[in-house]
Amino acid sequence: MTLTPTVTLILNGAPTTLHAESGRRLSDVLREDAGQRDVKVGCDAGDCGACTILLNDAPVCACLTPVIQAEGARIVTARGLGEPALSRLQEAFLRHGAAQCGICTPGMLAAAAALLAAAPTPTRAEVETALAGVLCRCTGYQKIVDAVVDAANPAPAPPPPGRGSAVGQPVERIDGRAKVDGTECFGADAWPEGALTVRAVRSPHHAAGFAFGDLDVWRASHPGVVAVFTAADIPGRNCFGVIPQLADQPALAEGAARFRGEAVAIVAGRHGAMLALDLDDFPVAWTPTEPLLSPEAALADGAALLHEGRPGNILVQGRVRTGDPEAGMALAAITMTASFRTSSVEHAYIEPEAGAAWMNGDVLTIAACTQAPAMDREGVAAILALPEARVRIIPTATGGGFGSKLDISLQPLIGLVALKTGQPCRMVYTRRESMASTTKRHPAAMTATIGADGAGRILAMTFAGDFDTGPYASWGPTVANRVPVHASGPHKTPHYLAEARAVHTNGPISGAFRGFGVPQAAILQEMLYDRMANALGQDRLEFRKLNALRDGETTVCGQALEAVGILDCLEALTPRWRAALAVAEAFNSLGGPIRRGVGVASCWYGCGNTSLANPSTIRVGLTQAGQLILHQGATDIGQGSNTVIAQILADAIGLPLADVRIVGPDTALTPDAGKTSASRQTFVSGKAALLAGRALRQAILRQSNMGESATLSLIDGCVVLADGARVQAIDLGLLPADRHGYALSAEETYDPPTLPLDADGQGKPYAVYGYGAQIAEVEVDQELGTVKVRRVTAAHDVGRAINPLLAEGQIQGGVAQGLGLALMEEYLAGRTENLHDYLIPTIGDMPEIETILIEKPDPEGPLGAKGLGEHVLIPTAPAIFNAIRHATGAEMTIAPALPHRVRAAIVKARQDTP
Amino acid sequence: MYAFTYHKAESVADAAAKVASADDGVLMAGGMTLLPTMKQRLAQPSDVVDLGGVASLAGISVTAETVSIGAMTTHDAVANSAEVKQAIPALASLASSIGDPMVRNRGTIGGSIANNDPAADYPGAVLGLGATVVTDKRSIPGDDFFQGMFETALEPGEIIQRIDFPIPKKAAYVKFPNPASRYAIVGVMAAETASGVRVAVTGAGPCAFRETAMETALAGNFSPSALDGVTVSPDGLNADIHASAVYRAHLIGVMAKRAVAACG
Repeated sequence: MTLTPTVTLILNGAPTTLHAESGRRLSDVLREDAGQRDVKVGCDAGDCGACTILLNDAPVCACLTPVIQAEGARIVTARGLGEPALSRLQEAFLRHGAAQCGICTPGMLAAAAALLAAAPTPTRAEVETALAGVLCRCTGYQKIVDAVVDAANPAPAPPPPGRGSAVGQPVERIDGRAKVDGTECFGADAWPEGALTVRAVRSPHHAAGFAFGDLDVWRASHPGVVAVFTAADIPGRNCFGVIPQLADQPALAEGAARFRGEAVAIVAGRHGAMLALDLDDFPVAWTPTEPLLSPEAALADGAALLHEGRPGNILVQGRVRTGDPEAGMALAAITMTASFRTSSVEHAYIEPEAGAAWMNGDVLTIAACTQAPAMDREGVAAILALPEARVRIIPTATGGGFGSKLDISLQPLIGLVALKTGQPCRMVYTRRESMASTTKRHPAAMTATIGADGAGRILAMTFAGDFDTGPYASWGPTVANRVPVHASGPHKTPHYLAEARAVHTNGPISGAFRGFGVPQAAILQEMLYDRMANALGQDRLEFRKLNALRDGETTVCGQALEAVGILDCLEALTPRWRAALAVAEAFNSLGGPIRRGVGVASCWYGCGNTSLANPSTIRVGLTQAGQLILHQGATDIGQGSNTVIAQILADAIGLPLADVRIVGPDTALTPDAGKTSASRQTFVSGKAALLAGRALRQAILRQSNMGESATLSLIDGCVVLADGARVQAIDLGLLPADRHGYALSAEETYDPPTLPLDADGQGKPYAVYGYGAQIAEVEVDQELGTVKVRRVTAAHDVGRAINPLLAEGQIQGGVAQGLGLALMEEYLAGRTENLHDYLIPTIGDMPEIETILIEKPDPEGPLGAKGLGEHVLIPTAPAIFNAIRHATGAEMTIAPALPHRVRAAIVKARQDTP
Repeated sequence: MYAFTYHKAESVADAAAKVASADDGVLMAGGMTLLPTMKQRLAQPSDVVDLGGVASLAGISVTAETVSIGAMTTHDAVANSAEVKQAIPALASLASSIGDPMVRNRGTIGGSIANNDPAADYPGAVLGLGATVVTDKRSIPGDDFFQGMFETALEPGEIIQRIDFPIPKKAAYVKFPNPASRYAIVGVMAAETASGVRVAVTGAGPCAFRETAMETALAGNFSPSALDGVTVSPDGLNADIHASAVYRAHLIGVMAKRAVAACG
């Protein structure tokens, strides 16, 4: 007996026989052969736990289980936990908002179900142990733990919000059910029958010339390979970029690769053959060249240029200047200077890039995970020389994005295969490929000086930062322009000069990552504020209050602000601040190697594009059958825009949220609601939804003789209007279909009012800002250098909390990513292309997080709402660094604060202390 | 992953025969290391012989002097064994600190020590408690078992059947884990045994090793302060993105003191 061709097992209660070729893992067979796509594959290496299933009641990673070992086993996946009704655990996940993007949810559910079988009412610590092997990048784990603890005795579901009262309610995410019952369809989960599988050949070098051998011979000698494509096969402009005039990135490199992981060729073929294919024998000859791996190297005299026309390898330089920084600094009673470096940070969403492409007539259709369907369409159309009307982008559910899925990745590659072969195809990046080839947070090297008067009022600040943008532009210009605008923090700074350069290197491409450089800059500014307060003998929180921007004051860009919530946030933190300081002092008085510390930091963040047009369009219609349809082009990557926009719309029309049906996003069906980036969807698309909802309400009222005070209901194909005793029904079936096919519809566009920035960065870069401040309480083991964050208290001014449950989820998830930035995340090309060498916060790393939502309504935002998605991680890292110094006296000069670095800083601080 | 032939072993003798008859056969226990290694094409055996069906290899038995753990016993079984917790709590605690629940449900003690990953936890216990590795051919003292990075005293095709741990007077294992994998960046097992004090370090060097200078210092005074004057050289220690050799040397000192303190 050498081979067992099949295994028979019990899959979610049903006897099932599956192929069991040696070498295949259970995850692969369950997904490909059994159609069990709720078994997610995030790393294929046992690191992420997304593929966790129950094997004879025990949670195991299906990707580390040979299918052959499942003979006779009982297998339960997420889908098997609750059919037909959702299990109480799944209901609890939904109610608590424990699923954001939902990609880790099936694995979390399986691991939690095993725990609950053994311990029906677990403690939080037991939950943390049981779920320790499953990574989540969105939630910060808090709500997952809440849900598991609550599963045995769930709190009753709140009643659904009634007409006109959806906004402000902590309603469940309206697209949440599919995320907890295992049916959600991500990029890797659906493809047309017979789709070819696509793989990419990528550069193993940071920089190298390359030449292909005989591709036809290679293809012919590899059965199952259908096609090989290189840059020579690209029919259009082999060049893309999010900022058209700076577009510089090829879909497939031509002649030279500029970073490790850059694609140079793609291979398409039968699925099984492609999986078995060893691409090491692909005929490509590399000629490695000396890479420029740091801005210092790239800026050095005589350094090779990565791109013609970008002297000094400088992509873009951003600058803001106000007042007279030199004179202001000279007036200061006290000045402080510091430098800080941050590392490359990987987005580490649990869903690697994935999608499928096919021709529908002459329309190239691409279903893939993304944050920006309209930009995908534009980019793919240009690369493939198709008119945009012949490219349709259907975003699948997106298993986390955080900025990286704004850039196109595999879309032109699978588009090329579908276009050239006429056959459908699919592609899933490996974890390594995802990490190597997609964008990162910019590593920054920054120096700043801040001066204050004797009372602690900031007089002047100078800031200079180099941001390693990698070989291609991506969002480097956005970072270089955003940082100088924000580097003052939300503080009155009369004299100011900030310059930021995006510098090309052969490191990984740096692009958009939650905050666009602002989180890096905030670390340095907040560190200097702590130094300054300490030197002046002032309370560190009071020092920030003293300098917080007030309504009517102007920013460093000369913009007069309204609805400035930073002081409110700091005030809200004050009781906790005092209590935390007292607790830390009492603890530290006992002595021992463990010391506690408390830190605070602020944030502000302008929502939407910087001084650029940034419109969203929302369409809403009532069908002749009486259904309310929201055409929602904003991609919900887990942050909750489907729900938030629907809440705003429902109230604007005056119909219950439960009436709203969502269509899209789909470039063929939904108007462009812009990209999911820059904390703009609640603000910009939300405002468009508010306007569209109001317009539809007016259209309805015009069909009646009722006034604004009428209440609306959808009953049996009619809109029923009531006002006191008066009732009127409009039979939608009797109205003619309009150009969108609706009985009544409305479409509205909103573009935030901004003004250009002049050469000194003066103008009105954003229409709306959000504000926040956080306290971090940490414990430092001085012998080891380890830092445990015990508690974070986060106060954020969201203007109006459209959905407090989702807002809280954004804050908790942002804190987790901020904690990762501060303490563990450091992407090193070629060395950390996996989720065991690249560290992200696990469930056990997370502190208790208390959220305080401040609502200081913005006059421009919809119903007063401000953006939140990026603000939330900005204060976390600086608060942690400030807490480390408070605990130990050690000031970090580099992020992340890895244990050996903290230990070294502690030793140095002791040597420096006389 | 390269193609290979899969075999399910019926017994230890059957497994030995199947490995012997293969061109390049390997034994698979829980597969937690072998499968990812093969997936990355870092290993390409012609044949894989799965020990998962050999019932005689799994199980725990405890006498007054010895805790015997079958090679195919999972980490989870050791962590949750009331008998192990009673006899050698440090061993149960060590097992509970390995990986995550999914790894503990599949990974085995035999697989761990046969693989001899420099950062694995169990080698620290085998060495630190003075255990004996019993194979289908012989008994190998723990002190002789670990010979280098991924190298052991096992001969080709030799199959571990069980590990016999003499019950110490007291013992504790303290580790500084890799935050993701929970492998030991440095782990120290400190024990007072019938044959003397043992201090074994894992994670820091090419394979687990004993810190004899610490053992000597502790022999007369089994307390953390006895280690105050003992310095650890970084020479030959591992260095990687998670910890330099100098930092690992520092950690050995701290973890050893904490292990001694935890012995009570």
